Amino acid sequence: MGTSFSYYLREMLRGEWLRNFLFVKTAPYVTPPHFRDYPRLTGKECTRCLNCMMICPTPGAIEVLKAEDGWNPVIYPGHCIRCGLCVEACPEGVLMSGRILESQFYENTGYSYTFHLTVDTTRCMRCGNCSVACPINKEEDPQLAAGGTGANDEVIMRVKGGELQILHEEKCTGCKTCEETCPNSAIRVARVIEAIHVAEEEG
Amino acid sequence: MSFLQSIKNTVRSRSIHVSYVNVGSCNGCDIEVLAMLAPRYDIEQYGIYVHNNPREADILLVTGAFTPQWEDKLKSIWDKIPEPKAAIAIGNCPISGCVFNRRGCYIDPPVAKHIPIAAEVPGCPPRPTEILNAVLSLAPVVFKDYEEKQQ
Amino acid sequence: MKKTVDVSLPIGPLHPCFKEPARIRCETKGERVISAEMDLGYVKKGIERIMRGRPWQEVMFLAERVCGICSVIHNMVCIETLEKLSGIDVPERAAYLRVIVNELDRIQSHLLANFSYCYTIEHETLSMYLLNLRETAMDMLELITGARVTCAYMVPGGVRFDLRDEDRLTLEEALDHMEKELDRYVGMFKNGPLIAQRSKGVGIISRDDVIEAHGVGPVARASGIPESDRRLEHPTYRKLGFTSLSYEDGDNYARIMIRFDEVYQSIGLIRRCLENMVPGPIRGGGIVTAGEATHAGEAPRGELTYYVKTDEYGRILDIAIRTPSIMNIESCAHYMLEGVSSAADITSTFISADPCIACTER
Repeated sequence: MGTSFSYYLREMLRGEWLRNFLFVKTAPYVTPPHFRDYPRLTGKECTRCLNCMMICPTPGAIEVLKAEDGWNPVIYPGHCIRCGLCVEACPEGVLMSGRILESQFYENTGYSYTFHLTVDTTRCMRCGNCSVACPINKEEDPQLAAGGTGANDEVIMRVKGGELQILHEEKCTGCKTCEETCPNSAIRVARVIEAIHVAEEEG
Repeated sequence: MSFLQSIKNTVRSRSIHVSYVNVGSCNGCDIEVLAMLAPRYDIEQYGIYVHNNPREADILLVTGAFTPQWEDKLKSIWDKIPEPKAAIAIGNCPISGCVFNRRGCYIDPPVAKHIPIAAEVPGCPPRPTEILNAVLSLAPVVFKDYEEKQQ
Repeated sequence: MKKTVDVSLPIGPLHPCFKEPARIRCETKGERVISAEMDLGYVKKGIERIMRGRPWQEVMFLAERVCGICSVIHNMVCIETLEKLSGIDVPERAAYLRVIVNELDRIQSHLLANFSYCYTIEHETLSMYLLNLRETAMDMLELITGARVTCAYMVPGGVRFDLRDEDRLTLEEALDHMEKELDRYVGMFKNGPLIAQRSKGVGIISRDDVIEAHGVGPVARASGIPESDRRLEHPTYRKLGFTSLSYEDGDNYARIMIRFDEVYQSIGLIRRCLENMVPGPIRGGGIVTAGEATHAGEAPRGELTYYVKTDEYGRILDIAIRTPSIMNIESCAHYMLEGVSSAADITSTFISADPCIACTER
C-alpha cells in the first residue's frame, strides 16, 4: 500500500481516463422504450366498462369521456402517478404504456374483481338516493331512476319494507356512485381485487 | 441601452443559480433533482449551479404537497430572493396533491395559491430530463429584456 | 450545574448539504459542540390517517410514497404484512424477483448516502463517481420494473412483471461493471489521508450507547451489533445463506465502510438469486381477509415495522408504521455530536447517520 499521492497519480493517468476526458461527447438524452410513461391510446375500441376508473388509486387522474364515435379514456398528467394499473385492468387493451401491455399478453396476468356493499343501519336514513343514482339500477328499472318508486326486484338495492335491502350484489360494477350521493356516508362499496394469472384461452 | 440589454440577456440565460425548497414531499422528486448533478445528466454543463442559498438564486424549485407549517415560511423565502426570479413546481404534489389529495390529509394544494409559479413539471416523480427541459426553456423566456419590461 | 456556551448554532432547514428540512440546534463553546437538539416537523402530512378504510391497491401507493429513497422496502413490508395476516403464499420465482428488486434498491440507497457524505466533506470527485455509479443501478431498476423511483412492483401473491432472458444478460453485465468500478472507488476512499483525518475518530458512539438509543441499521452494525439485521429471519434470505456484517469502531469511517461492504454483499445476493431462479408463475392469487399482524423488514437505514388491522373485505382499519430514521437521528443528536471538535464536522456526522426526514415524519 503505497502513499496515497502515487495512488491518485496512477488513477488520473490511466489511458481510459485521459481518452474520456479529451474525446468523449455527451450522449443524447433518450427516454428508453421500457419506461412507464403516461398511458396512450392504442386505437382499440373502448366499451366504457369503467374498469380503469375503478382501479385508479389517484383521485381525478383518469376519466372516460365521449369522443366522436364512442368513448375514450382521458388521462390528466398533473394527477396521474404513472403506475400502470389502468393499462393492466383494461379488458380490451385500449391503453398502452412502456412494455406493460405486451408483458401482460406474454405472461397471462390480470386482475379479478368482486364488489361488496355494506350498509351502516344506524346511519342510513332510508332516503333512497343510492338506489336512484346507481347506473345499474337505471338499466334494470328506468321507473326507479325517473320517479323514485318502483316494484322491480332485479335492481341491486332499494328501500323495501322500511330498510335498504341489497338484492343483487353480484351485479355491482364498483363505480361508487352510491357512496358519493349518500348524504350520511352510510353505504360503502368494497372493491376486492386479486392479482392472478389468467387461464389461457383458445384462439 | 439595448446593447447592454442583449449582454444581460445572454449572461442571464447561460448562468442560472438554483435553490430548492421541500415543502412536504416524499423525497422522490428531490432525488431526481440531485440525480441531475450526476455526470450522466450533468446540469452544470449548461451553467446551472445548484447551491441552496435563496439570497443568490434566480430560480426556486418547489417540491412537495404544501403542508400548513410552511405557510409563512415559503412566502418569506420567496420575498428574500432578489429580482428577476421565477419558481418552478416539480412533480405532481405541488400541482394537485398527487395521491395525498384525500379528505383528512393535512395538505393544501396547489402551491400556486401561495407563491406565483411560472412553470410546472408533472410526473411522480418526473424524469431528470423533463426537469432539465423545463429549467432550460424557462430561463431565457422569463429573464429576457427584464429591465425594459420594468419601465 | 452552570455551563457556559458561546453561541447556539442552528443548522437550519435550508442547507446546501441537506436534501430535507430539519434543524439541528447546537450549543457550542468556541467550535466544540457541547450538546445538540433536533427540531423536526416540517413535512408532516398525515399519511396513516388517509390509509384508513382503503383496500390494498390504494394503500400500496401511499405506503410507497412515505419515503422516495427507500420506496421498494415500504412496498415489500406492507404487502408482506397483508400476506401474513391472510395466509397467502408467494411462488418461488416471485420470491427471488422480490429479493432482486429489493437489493437493487438497497444498492442505490447506500450509494446515495455515501455520495452525500463525500459531498459534505468536500471530496467532489469521489462523490460524482459514486452518483454516476448509482445511475447504473437505477437503469437496472427501470429495466425490470419500468420506473426509476416508486416502482410499485409487488402485489399480494407475487410481483407484477417478469424478468426476460435478454434483460437478465444486461443485468449480469451491469453487476460486473459495478463491482469493478466499486473496487476503484473504495480504494480511493481507503487510501486518502485527508478522508481518514476527517472521518476516523469523529462522531464515535459506543456499543452500549447504541443499545440505549435503540440505534438500528448500519449505525448499529458499525458499532458491533451484527444481529440487528432483519434479513436474518426472512425465509428467502435464509435460503440464500445470508450472514450480516459488522465493524467495531463506531465512527464516521466505519459507517461509510459498512455501507460499501453491504453494496458488495447485495451484488453477491443478486447473483445467487439469478443462479437459483426457477421458471414458473409469478402471481399466486389470494384475497386479503380480516386479521391483525405485525411484520418487520430491513430498510437500507434500519428496521422497518408495520402493524396492520383489516376488516372483512381487506380494507384497513388501523395501521401504524415505525420507520428506522428516528432512532438514528436520536442517537446522532444526543450521543454522536457530543464532543465533536469543529462546526464543520456537525454536518458530516449527521449525514453519516443517513437521516431520512420524510420517513420520520410521514
